[in-house]
Amino acid sequence: MLTVFIDFNSPASYLAFEPTLQLVKRLGTTLRWKPFRTTLQPIPEKVPNESQGQSHRRVRALARERTHIHYAKLQGIELKFPVAPSRTDLALGVLAQCSKNPENFIRKAFYAYWHNHFDLNDANIVSEIIEQCEDLGDINIAQALHSLESAQKFAENACIIDAPAYMIGEQLFIGREHLPWIEEILLST
Amino acid sequence: MEVLKSDAPLIVYVDVKSPYAFVSIKPTLELEKELGVEFDWRPLTLDIPSYLGSAEKRGGKVIRSEGRSQTAWNTIRYSYRDARRYAERQGYILKGTEKIWDTRIASIAILWVRQTARSRLSNFFEVVYPAFWRRELDVEDISVVENCLENAGVSSQGFREFESGDGRTLHDNLQKQFHAKGIYGVPTYVIGDEVYFGREHLPYLRWHLKGRVGPTPDIAYEI
Repeated sequence: MLTVFIDFNSPASYLAFEPTLQLVKRLGTTLRWKPFRTTLQPIPEKVPNESQGQSHRRVRALARERTHIHYAKLQGIELKFPVAPSRTDLALGVLAQCSKNPENFIRKAFYAYWHNHFDLNDANIVSEIIEQCEDLGDINIAQALHSLESAQKFAENACIIDAPAYMIGEQLFIGREHLPWIEEILLST
Repeated sequence: MEVLKSDAPLIVYVDVKSPYAFVSIKPTLELEKELGVEFDWRPLTLDIPSYLGSAEKRGGKVIRSEGRSQTAWNTIRYSYRDARRYAERQGYILKGTEKIWDTRIASIAILWVRQTARSRLSNFFEVVYPAFWRRELDVEDISVVENCLENAGVSSQGFREFESGDGRTLHDNLQKQFHAKGIYGVPTYVIGDEVYFGREHLPYLRWHLKGRVGPTPDIAYEI
């Protein structure tokens, strides 16, 4: 069993989605998707008399964005960063409630955030995505934020600090760059 | 020396005090060997307190911490755990450092080896990195770094003058250029005008350096 924690506003989560699916389908592994609300990381603006730390954070954020765009292209994804990242709590709460396969919901939610820049905290938009999906189980959108809070506590207790995070046995991996090791563990079990 | 310019096919920036640089050394040296080329290895001396706050540990306990949020601590703890498991796979020991080291002397030593004995650079890394991460090396002591040079088969004669003179100037001039060129951490790889942070890009760099044949690989920590 592989558990993967994602956030819809996390480009690293988006770019991990298909490679992770491909891996588990190839190996026939059971996969569980869980929500994790990441810290919003807007790109800091350059300010006058920028300190070394401010400059570091700005340069790092810009470099990360460039890298995500670079690797997105390899997956055939034209990644368009919104002007400012926004929370996707409502959609994450729905993911927490899914008792059936949420793959389709996740794919559509990522698309809505990254290509249409839709607000995944808006009940109308999230409901529309749910309607486009096959049976997700018992979804109660009014309770979605509450579901997310429980899921978030579970993730934080499991020492998750960012997404995508992969939990397998005793090991925690953050980032799809660990897929070779994850594959090795899956093959050995 | 300009940070993005080199006659070599790839520039690699490292710092001894970074656990991620430590675990990148072996696979990067292996790629260099596989391709039969020489990469341009250079130092980037991290200014960790400026972006992660500072801390000091003694006997495994934090005795001083400034400007570090709980999130920063959690990230640092995960980073060390992560680097440690990969180091162990490479046959190394990685112990968390007890303070933030000033690694400028070791960085200038990389410049020294580049200039005086390039073929010994991998020996130098092998002498310095594993011992530092076993907590057996005081890299702030110039005589310790001189010993490392000698142990790597590099003459240390003249290093002291270089460290306080031309080497220091070269090092400091490099450091000033990084942020303007989009470089902020180690390991950083520069290929043409592209800049990549992290050894997860090695599959892409191999593909690029081998003539871009076949499908472009995604990021991965090769094991």
